[in-house]
Amino acid sequence: MKQFGKILKFELKGYLRNKVFVGITIFLVVAIAVVMFIPNIVSAFESDGGDDTGDVMGELPAMLVYAEDEALAALVREYFAAAFGGYEVRIAEGTLDEIKADILSGEAECAFVMNSASSYTYYVNNLSMYDTNTAVADTVLQEVYRINAMVGNGLTPEQAGEILSVQIESGVEMLGKDQMQNFFYTYIMIFALYMVILLYGQMVATNVATEKSSRAMEVLITSAKPTSMMFGKVLASCIAGFSQLVLVFGTAILLYNVNKDALDNPLISSIFDIPVELFAYLIVFFVLGFLIYAFMFGAVGSTASKLEDINTSVMPITFLFVIAFMVVMFSMSSGSVDNTAMLVCSYIPFTSPMAMFTRICMSTVAWYEIAISIAILIGSTVGIGVLSAKIYRVGVLLYGTPPKLGAILKNVLKK
Amino acid sequence: MILELKSIDKSFGEKEVLKGVSFTAEGGRAFGLLGRNGAGKTTSIRILMNVFPADGGEVLIDGRPIDYDKIGIGYLPEERGLYPKKIIIDQLVYFAELKGMRAKDAVKAVDYWLGRLGMTEYRNKRLDTLSKGNQQKIQLITALAHDPDIVILDEPFSGLDPVNAMLLKDVVKEQIARGKIVLFSSHQMSYIEEFCDSIAIINAGKVAVSGDLHEIKRAYPRNKLVVSAANTDRIRAELGEICTAREDGTLLVRLASPDEKQTMMKRIVEICDVDEIKVLEPSLNDIFVEYAGAQI
Repeated sequence: MKQFGKILKFELKGYLRNKVFVGITIFLVVAIAVVMFIPNIVSAFESDGGDDTGDVMGELPAMLVYAEDEALAALVREYFAAAFGGYEVRIAEGTLDEIKADILSGEAECAFVMNSASSYTYYVNNLSMYDTNTAVADTVLQEVYRINAMVGNGLTPEQAGEILSVQIESGVEMLGKDQMQNFFYTYIMIFALYMVILLYGQMVATNVATEKSSRAMEVLITSAKPTSMMFGKVLASCIAGFSQLVLVFGTAILLYNVNKDALDNPLISSIFDIPVELFAYLIVFFVLGFLIYAFMFGAVGSTASKLEDINTSVMPITFLFVIAFMVVMFSMSSGSVDNTAMLVCSYIPFTSPMAMFTRICMSTVAWYEIAISIAILIGSTVGIGVLSAKIYRVGVLLYGTPPKLGAILKNVLKK
Repeated sequence: MILELKSIDKSFGEKEVLKGVSFTAEGGRAFGLLGRNGAGKTTSIRILMNVFPADGGEVLIDGRPIDYDKIGIGYLPEERGLYPKKIIIDQLVYFAELKGMRAKDAVKAVDYWLGRLGMTEYRNKRLDTLSKGNQQKIQLITALAHDPDIVILDEPFSGLDPVNAMLLKDVVKEQIARGKIVLFSSHQMSYIEEFCDSIAIINAGKVAVSGDLHEIKRAYPRNKLVVSAANTDRIRAELGEICTAREDGTLLVRLASPDEKQTMMKRIVEICDVDEIKVLEPSLNDIFVEYAGAQI
């Protein structure tokens, strides 16, 4: 126990003195601070420069409307002017070539050339990914066409307008959880879990392999118990990773609250609107998930003789983890987090940290299901921990080609 | 204090590495563990240090099973290496602490040893900034700082220049004088001969010979004579095939049995004017080649 404390302290010190670790943490915190303050900074600039640029801001890009039938052109212009607030809608004069030239020269941004009341061609220079003009135009033109048709059948334009603009009153009462609302923060937390476990797991593996390849292991193994070494190393990385997460997320939440007024955006507030009890679950699943993977990474690291072998050796674990991540991500975006794959995954210890946590976030899970999942996870973590310490003891003294997993297990179980 | 390994067996998988290895080392004396590469020396040392358990046999201190919480062991492995990127004082204190020292005592002990080995100026440097010989001296501190009862040195002199070798010799002699069990493993026979009172030669997982070095030497068949004379050619012509010339100009005469010694000496003296005749004392090298070389 005494040794364990000393190893933990030494390893933690190693992280704190690691310039890359400290650098990345500071970078992340600063980056988040900058992002959080952007709305304030932008609005500060806007209010400063408002006097000079006021008239420039008022100039809207031009949208041209053309139809051979002048009455149709006037009608469409009128409706488009109402629908496209961001444009100055003008009736084009001249030929189609002149309209094209106007667009190419930047005089106008786009043009609708009407073939008939229900058919048009949209001219634009570069079609932006987010150009919704045709969709808006379709809706507007449909409405115009319908009103005209109804008027033609004897209704007054007012009656037709009333029919078309009827409002349906509705209300949604959620008995479970709002998946739309929960999606973003669940996504971010799962992604953080994924990144941290994979990154730190690799670090543990590299750490062990470095000790082995530098032969520091020869002295270490005669000075400390393998179990203390394994647990000390893994817990130190867990504490380092967790503090990094807390620091980054803490900064984000703190600065969000500081800048809450400027960041008045439903998407952003949905990210930060995390129920407190979810944090408790996040900690439980983070710690257990982290430990179970870090133990495996450590054990694998101990079987590699050279640092170059690490990447191939950890591949199976990384695969397992990426598959778990994929299942969760697909289920999340498909909208059914309670599908069979997720149900199974939420009880398998290697996948449950992500799968069960996602289900808790986005769906309704009975308390006993959570309890069973956590119990299995705790049991497996302890089991994997002990087993990996044993593999570690055998692995660290084997040099040469990495031994086969089967051979190691046989060796471990023999004792 | 007497350290005893008693019929230790160990196999890795199918491979039997140690087959009933036994030897005894005493406090205040240096013990040499010899053997060719792969003979089982490192495995014996690791079992002695409880890195892994033996399949059979036991490790005893004064006749009782060794208590690793009470008996301190210092180890200089043949494969040298510590943390290359870490500050020297930090890692040395860490290793001393792992061996059970309190932080304060560990710093004190490490500083003493840094001074003793002339390494104080490197105290706050990274290990990989040091030369190989200096790194080796740093590593020696991990074996000695916690004042262990048993000091195990695996090839301690390899890579040291003559001045550092002298320094290490002094340190080793001091450890022996302080009544510790010093266990040497080396292929440099001259050092073993210089320090060790008793040895064990391991060959293919078995102890080929062990015990007091002088007794082993005496037990070595005394059936060779070394003759130095002005005119060795006449002796060779007279005695024929049993003579071989040695590099230093002397003549080696092999006897059919040690009992022939007296008669043969008389005979040689009668052939010509002889400066010196003596029985060949085997060097450790001869003994090593005899016991460790034959069966592989």
